[in-house]
Amino acid sequence: MGELVIHRVEKKYLNHNGNPSKNPSFQLYPMNLSIQEGEFFGIIGPSGCGKTTFLKCIAGLILPDSGNVLLGKKNLTYVPPEKRPFSMVFQQPLLFPHLKVIDNVSFGLKMQGINKKVRFDKAKDMLQAVGLSGYELRHPYELSGGQQQRVSLARAIIMNPKVLFLDEPFSALDPDLRQEMRELVKQLHQTFKVTVLMVTHDREEAFQLADRLAIMHEGKLLQVGTPKNCYEKPDHIKVAQFLGSKNMIEGVVSKNKFIGKYFEVSLGYNLMNKTKGWLIIRPELFKRMCPNDLNQTVNNVHIQSFTGRIKEVSYRSGFVHYKVDIKGQSLYVIETNQSDLPLVNDQVTLQLNIKKLHFIPQ
Amino acid sequence: MNMWQKGNPYLYVLPAVFFMIIFFFGGILQGVLQSLGVSIFHDDAQFTFKAYQELAQSIDFWQSLSLTFKIAFLSTLLSALLGMIIAFILFIISLKAYNTNRFPFLYRIFQYPLVIPHLAAGYLFLLLLMQSGWLSRISFQLGWIEEIYQFPILVNDTFGWGIILTYTWKEAPFITLMVYPVLLRVHKSWYEVARLYGSNMIKFLKNVAFPLVLPAWLSSIFIVFAFTFSAFEIPYLLGVTYPQLLPVYSFELFMHGGWEERSQSLALNIILAFITGILGIISYLLSKRWLSSERRGWE
Repeated sequence: MGELVIHRVEKKYLNHNGNPSKNPSFQLYPMNLSIQEGEFFGIIGPSGCGKTTFLKCIAGLILPDSGNVLLGKKNLTYVPPEKRPFSMVFQQPLLFPHLKVIDNVSFGLKMQGINKKVRFDKAKDMLQAVGLSGYELRHPYELSGGQQQRVSLARAIIMNPKVLFLDEPFSALDPDLRQEMRELVKQLHQTFKVTVLMVTHDREEAFQLADRLAIMHEGKLLQVGTPKNCYEKPDHIKVAQFLGSKNMIEGVVSKNKFIGKYFEVSLGYNLMNKTKGWLIIRPELFKRMCPNDLNQTVNNVHIQSFTGRIKEVSYRSGFVHYKVDIKGQSLYVIETNQSDLPLVNDQVTLQLNIKKLHFIPQ
Repeated sequence: MNMWQKGNPYLYVLPAVFFMIIFFFGGILQGVLQSLGVSIFHDDAQFTFKAYQELAQSIDFWQSLSLTFKIAFLSTLLSALLGMIIAFILFIISLKAYNTNRFPFLYRIFQYPLVIPHLAAGYLFLLLLMQSGWLSRISFQLGWIEEIYQFPILVNDTFGWGIILTYTWKEAPFITLMVYPVLLRVHKSWYEVARLYGSNMIKFLKNVAFPLVLPAWLSSIFIVFAFTFSAFEIPYLLGVTYPQLLPVYSFELFMHGGWEERSQSLALNIILAFITGILGIISYLLSKRWLSSERRGWE
């Protein structure tokens, strides 16, 4: 098969005057992406950023204005979706209400003209794989939302697709069920070795499942990389914002020092003078000093200390989140639960490894 | 106070119920009684099945019944097929159209025949299809026929083409009107799902859309059949003098026959109502047994 390559795929939608070229109502800017065989790839971005449109352009449900979709050496750009080796699971299960579960699962095989016995045998195996053995003769209305989505997954995987598209497949489910479905998808991905392209606005979901991520914003791909890389080294302030960076401080670099409105810190690496941008400090990089440690001398030149006053504290499932005011700059800190919970208005000293700071030039 | 509030809705509909009982059920009751020889206006009337027996022995009745069935069947068949095809065309356009704002206009075009009364439609088709009618004259002017009498006889013909065509023109939009709103509830996303799993438009219509609209289609087919089987105006205007369709035959017996034939006329009406009722029950049982499980969870 080979990799799935998306080369300069672009799509514009008409504005109110019916003119696509000037001020289109929505535009998917030229997209380039390469997804390896067997990879679990996530496209993440806020609602309305064009994720689903992009996915449908790849699936063939929307014809792009320009660009190419290639699978291995085969150009699929103008191949109709029914002839592409792709399957898709949508946000809603979209099961056909008049068909029983087994008929829904084997729908694609029926369209391929495969005889009833063979397709039913395969459908039964697939239902077993998604944990729905014994549900063959039920109608969709007799299933819960989670079960319907499992049937939808079975219907997609039975086609033995080269690429499986997941379009926010768990967003309509409750949190427990969502977690259960994520594990099921991960397991099915490993069992069937299928390439998966998932679209979601749920960071947690993307981080849990994807080998690599692409972050989209307003019709543009901002960054592609591993979840760790995207989180720790965002290329764009929008990426940092979307991935939940709490401490984004605007400022300028001068003599390897970052100077914000209220906050200054030496940078652990060289940057051109007068570069404007944002300093990203991940909340978990701070280390709160115990009163006993304060008198000890820090020999590491990369560790800097800051003293401030705690403004807010909250305890969330094993982690303590708090806001510290350091000379007028509010900084967000997350630390694993320690025996001495900080209190509001406490004075604290925080240590920061400046080598782990990240600067995004404007 | 509470009792008054509970009873209030029933009081509001009481006038309508009253008139319904008097004119509808009262009329039916009177028809049944008169068909059985019982009359509230004649003291010497006797209970008898004579009218039904005479009808059963009448060749005219059987010919009329068979013609009525034939015309109702063909009208319903053509309307059902045409109505469904129009509904599917509108549905396909709505699936393919990116901007559906202008779409209702097209839908309205197919609704116009609905607002034209049957009598007017009958007259329109008479003017349109008779040998000295518009189509015949247009064909003559275009040189397709040498004389207007070469135009095929389509109205007042023994087969009943005029009636069938008029009914098809009138009832096909009704079928569309019944089916299309159901089709609109078929998600566009279902079409996308079907396409991704190897289905083209024809396969999608056959395997997904058609089974979903089948209940609405069958219901509307029954209504059209019941109507075309028992309606009067169009066969009266476009039919032939012999054999007549049952409603016309009944009317003629009632208006132009003697007093003794009035019982037969009413017996005919009772038979018409009975056949329609039987068809209704069959349709209901069919939809209840066969289709109910498919409707649930969607309708």
